[in-house]
Amino acid sequence: MAATLRDVTTYDLKLAAPLAAGFVLFFVTPLAILLALSFQTDPQGGHYGLTQYVNFLGDRFSLGVLGSTLWLGVKVTALTLLLGYPVAWLHQRSPGWARGLIMLLVLLPLLTSVVVRTFAWVVILGRQGIVNATLAWLGLIDTPLKLLYTDGGVVVALAQVQMPLMVLPIVTALGRIDPNFADASSVLGAGHWRTFRKVILPLSLPGIVAGCLLTYAAAITAFITQSLIGGGQMLFMPMYIYQQASTLQNWPFAAAISIVFLVSVLVVVSIFNALGRLSRGYANA
Amino acid sequence: MLLTRRNLMQTALTLGAMHAFPGLTWAQARPLVFATFTGSWEEAHRAVLVPAFRKATGNADMVLDPMLSVDQIAKVNAARSNPPIDVMLHDPGPALQAVAQDLVEPYPVEKSAYYKDLIPAAQVPMGPAPFFQVVGITYNPETVKTPPTSWADLWRPEFKGRVGITNLNSTLGTGFMVELAKMHGGSEANIDPAFKAIEALRPSLAAVAANPGQLATLFQQGQIDISPGNFNAIQILKARGVPVEFVIPKEGAIAFKTTIHIVKNSPNRELAFKLIEAALSPEVQATLMEEPYLIVPTNTKVAIKGELAKTLAKDHAEIAKKFVFQDWAKINEQRSAWIERFNREIRV
Repeated sequence: MAATLRDVTTYDLKLAAPLAAGFVLFFVTPLAILLALSFQTDPQGGHYGLTQYVNFLGDRFSLGVLGSTLWLGVKVTALTLLLGYPVAWLHQRSPGWARGLIMLLVLLPLLTSVVVRTFAWVVILGRQGIVNATLAWLGLIDTPLKLLYTDGGVVVALAQVQMPLMVLPIVTALGRIDPNFADASSVLGAGHWRTFRKVILPLSLPGIVAGCLLTYAAAITAFITQSLIGGGQMLFMPMYIYQQASTLQNWPFAAAISIVFLVSVLVVVSIFNALGRLSRGYANA
Repeated sequence: MLLTRRNLMQTALTLGAMHAFPGLTWAQARPLVFATFTGSWEEAHRAVLVPAFRKATGNADMVLDPMLSVDQIAKVNAARSNPPIDVMLHDPGPALQAVAQDLVEPYPVEKSAYYKDLIPAAQVPMGPAPFFQVVGITYNPETVKTPPTSWADLWRPEFKGRVGITNLNSTLGTGFMVELAKMHGGSEANIDPAFKAIEALRPSLAAVAANPGQLATLFQQGQIDISPGNFNAIQILKARGVPVEFVIPKEGAIAFKTTIHIVKNSPNRELAFKLIEAALSPEVQATLMEEPYLIVPTNTKVAIKGELAKTLAKDHAEIAKKFVFQDWAKINEQRSAWIERFNREIRV
């Protein structure tokens, strides 16, 4: 009998064919072209070799740009997690109407474009911006502080711009935790802090990992925010690629640094994924 | 005719595809595509040039597809045999690149009614210049009491932490560096003195903008008080009530000819020629010279009037004297090396 029943737990792979075809056509193919381009030794084409990669990897300055971009992602992710987790936690602990309000506040930034949000930060961080005006009014400073075009400015602006990407997965993860666990923990004598550290935090780790992954990827590739808040004296990978491809028309080098960037990001992503797997084991233990 | 389900489906799909990819129906005859620049250029061209073109051609179809020079080159390069653009607009650096990459056709000079009336600097056989862009000193008159008179004023101690510049990605940034080099004994071939001068300017720098458009925001926010600036960009800011003034330094204004080109293999060659003719005509140039566009004309038949005569030059003879044109063929040879060097030296 059982053999004649259709297995409803698996789906026909053919259903995924349109998406797969689109994926191959619009993602895999360009990526292959990009890879081929990166092996050209000069913009005019003709010769192939590893020149572009040697140029990038043998150059202190280029490696510095890559390093500072990856490090920027770490700082932004850390700050977003630090500020985002309490928001998600508050959302979980609030009554129904407040939940809606918090969710609206979290989602609100997503409803305006990144350019608008970034320009708002230009206004906030400028010499006559809100921060400097407030500090001057309180008499704490005489001359305006330089906030725009600083590393700190970029990190803060990116953290705000990418905040929803961190909060939403954590909200979902926290929502899946059975509230009885926390009660059980406190019945067994654990305080709030211990309950949080030993029960809530480990169980929400999958959400944290997903949020960090999204925030990190979005932060290091945020061309607009990086260049508007960072200015011309800070160079990150997206601007470096744009400059080589667009201004200098040096497509092979631009392709090579794109590939190097992609591989570095993949490495970071696999680290996050490994952490994610670990955390699942931890949560189920 | 029998309407089968299959038949109906086919028709629907075809119509749907034509709707989704309008390019399909343009395969034979598409309207003339003019890649102008974004922002105020697009507004000016839409308001003045397009109507003039329609009038001259009996309402021929055309579209504006505004994009940066570098993007125009990339797009035409990607489809040389069937280019998606018919007429390109370029700053001097990219114009030479487009010519070198064999993307443009020579302008049919002998057919043109207006070419011979252009000032000599605008007569470029591979694509004439319908207007100039002018770079001088921009300052905030509320904080800068004595108007600057020379590029050297940017180094004055009272502007410590108040100066804005842009990086070399833009024509403005590169042209400014060449001007600095010339002031300190260098040239298009010897940029070293400019880098030394920028090093000395470092304590004064409040911002190195990633593009010239950002300088406008910085003036608005009071982040900077003085910077090199594009005359037309400043007029737009001024019109919006931002306290900015533009002066030509005594060394002369850095001038760029913006050239207009017929794309090689364009299916609309004849219309492209007519559009360029319209852009060179004294009528169009005279209208574009007025408020709010204030675009510097290149046709000597256009008498210079209004704000232009007040701030820039009262006639074409004075333009020839006050405008400094740079050798972009020389600049292009080394520009990528300069950008690399600027990246490295200016990085904090």
